[in-house]
Formats: sequence, structure tokens, C-alpha cells
Amino acid sequence: MIYLDHGATSFPKPPAVRRAMDRAMARCANPGRGGHLPAMEAAQTVYRCREQAAALFGCEAEQVAFTGSCTQGLNTAVRTLVRPGDRVLISGFEHNAVVRPLHALGADITVAGQKLFDWADTLSRFQDGLKTHPAAAVFTHVSNVFGYVLPVAELGDLCRQYGVPFVLDAAQSAGSLPVDLKALGAAYIAMPGHKGLLGPMGTGLLLCGELPMPLLFGGTGSESVNRSMPDFLPDRLEAGTLNVPGIGGLEAGLALVRREGPEAIGRREHRQAMACARALEKLGLRVFTGAHQAGTVSFLPEGDCEELARRLGDRGAAVRAGLHCAPLAHESAGTLDTGTVRLSFGYDAEPAKTGEFLRILENLLTGKM
Amino acid sequence: MTSYFVTFRSVTYAQRGERVLRSAGIGCSMQRTPRVLEERGCGYSLALSAGALYQAVAALRQGNVPFRRVYLRDGDGSIREVEL
Repeated sequence: MIYLDHGATSFPKPPAVRRAMDRAMARCANPGRGGHLPAMEAAQTVYRCREQAAALFGCEAEQVAFTGSCTQGLNTAVRTLVRPGDRVLISGFEHNAVVRPLHALGADITVAGQKLFDWADTLSRFQDGLKTHPAAAVFTHVSNVFGYVLPVAELGDLCRQYGVPFVLDAAQSAGSLPVDLKALGAAYIAMPGHKGLLGPMGTGLLLCGELPMPLLFGGTGSESVNRSMPDFLPDRLEAGTLNVPGIGGLEAGLALVRREGPEAIGRREHRQAMACARALEKLGLRVFTGAHQAGTVSFLPEGDCEELARRLGDRGAAVRAGLHCAPLAHESAGTLDTGTVRLSFGYDAEPAKTGEFLRILENLLTGKM
Repeated sequence: MTSYFVTFRSVTYAQRGERVLRSAGIGCSMQRTPRVLEERGCGYSLALSAGALYQAVAALRQGNVPFRRVYLRDGDGSIREVEL
């Protein structure tokens, strides 16, 4: 299988991740609840994962809250910063994990910057939007459809300049690009544990630059007499039993990412994405590529994109077609009616796999398969 | 045997305290805080040997690790708060 759907989840999970999950299931009880050995082992597993994340993302361990997904983290951040009717500034490349929570809250959404790979447009549109003093700004680091890397440091500077708190969706960048809570000055950064961080599905992180409002209420193992959620992190966001096997696996994934470094992983992914883009263009396909692109590339086939993805899948190449849960990004790029075929590279990106994928695709398009 | 223990709001802060003390060369062990001492219910503590208290408190303060209180457990099992 040539797997080019790392934008959905990294696959297969590294053996170290699977071993760590197995170890956690064999040795860990409920963390932060009891004082016996399996509970303490669980607490240590959880804390080691916080430490790994804190070291990678420029924050303190207690600023790392575990979530079940990036979506959960984004919902928490949005519900903390936005009230019904508030104006909120978002980029033209947001996922439904941003758009739907805002819509559900009744926020007044302003879309700023819809030109692909164009930092000048993104920045000037955001600046215009910030002048209207929105309650918050929410933007993605990397478009999950097109791999467009937004100028997040500059956007963060602008938000600070106008006193607007911002949320960064690092779903497609965590593990492939530098992400630093303190340096960016974000109110919140949400990310999944199962994509670039190589952990299992059902894990996510919310990095908290500010004290959030909880999305869930319940037991935390701390301040049990208090009927309100604790007013400190990470307990404030961690009601209920944590996914300790998942967190154990995520710790192992984070260790792998830190060993190689996100920049090196991202460069490898980008190299293969660009090699693919050049080859796709030679095949006469419309390819969405430009400056400031990560390891993801989308293209438009002659016929239906879902049909091509199905035929590729039948021949052992896993890609994703359609709207990728990001209709706004497709609207911005003019592909809402067609969707695209997306190739998203991951930690295992290498020329041999790219070459094999291109051979399968070319044979399909030229009718040799 | 006399020993001290430092109480924390949550297991995460106790763990951060444990890391700070260990990196300062101060031995400690994490345990549940006795219920009678935790007025808000449920918490974790770090137990220290008798001679390490002031060095430990200094290290926690320097490391910005918030802790609640410090207690002394005497050889007869009685416990009393230590005013710092």
C-alpha cells in the first residue's frame, strides 16, 4: 500500500507507538486518582507525555491539556473566546472543525484572505479584519486541502498589535513544522495526536496560553469538594478518565518526532509533495502548488475525483478525494463543485513510494491498468 | 521517623514538583495527601526526608511550582503544619 493520506491520520503507526499502548494497557490504572502502583504508573505515563509535548511546543507541562481530538480542542477554545453574535475573523482555508463550532455559537464570521499561497493577501486581509476589533481570530497553520502554510507568526503579531486573542489550528502542522505557544503568543493551539505526532486516533492536545472554559464537567481527581471545575490547568479541561493507552502511544510518537525534529520531517514531506506536483503537471493535470506549501498537494483530474481515488485505492494507492471537510478552502480555491484529489505525505515519505504512486497513477490515466 | 511532606493542588503539580526536586538532587516520593489535610478533597504530596525541607521549598519556589502547605509528620504519626 502506498499511503498518501497522512492528512487524515498517520499510517501505519510506528511500532514504538503500538508497544507503548500495549504497555499502558498492561500496567496502567486510572491516573491522578489513586496512590497505588498502577495508578502512579499511569500518572507518570501521562506526565511524561505532557513533558514531551511541552518541550516540543514551547510551553509548561500543565499548559498541555489532553483532548479526544483537535476538533474538541478547537471547540473548547472557540467556546472560551466567543459569545453568540461576536465577530470572529477566520482565514479562507478553515476546516469545518473551526467553521461549525463558530456557526453553532451564532458568531458573526468574517473570512479574511482567500488567495492560495499568497502571504501578502492573507496578511493585508487579516489586517483589514482586525481593524474592526473582532472578539477573536482563528486560523489554520496549514490548509488540510492544499498544504498552504499560512504566515502564522506574522498573523500572531498582527493579532497582538490589535489586542485580539487568537486560536491556531495546528492539525496539519504539529510534527511537521515548528509550533511554539510562547513564541506565537496564541491564546490556544489545538492539534490532533494522531497525525504528524504519530500517536493513536482518539488523542489530541490543546495548548493553553490562557485559562479556558471547560467543555466537559466532571471528576478530575482534584479538589473533589468543589462543585465547580478546578480553576487551574490541566485539570480544568480534563474531566473524566483520560485515554491512558492513547496518551502512552502519543508519548512514544512525540519522542520519535522530537528525535528527528519537525523541520526535518516537514522538509522530507515537502520534497516528495513537490516531486509529485511536478510529475502531475507533466501529466497535464491541474495541480495546486505555490510558495509556502507543506507536504500536501491537491490536483484536479479530468473526471470525478472520487472515482479516481477509488480506482487508485483498488490499485494500492490510498489518497483522499472530495471536499476534505473544508468547503471554505475549496470555495476559496474555486473547487467547491468538483472537490480535489489530495496527496498528503507523512513521516515515511521517500522517493521510492512517490515513484510507485506516480507509476500507478500514470498507468491509470493512460489506460494501462 | 520524622518527615515532611509538601501538598499540591493536583497530581500534575506534584509531578512537576517531583521533577524540580529530583533535578536539584533532593529525594522525594509522591503519595496521596491524607484526607484530613486536604480541605478541598483529593490531592497529592511529596514526602521529603527531615533535613531537606528548606532546600526543597527554595527549589520549588525557584522553579515556580505552586504548592499548598507543608506538614511535619512526627515519629508517633502525629501531623502538624509547618509555618514557613
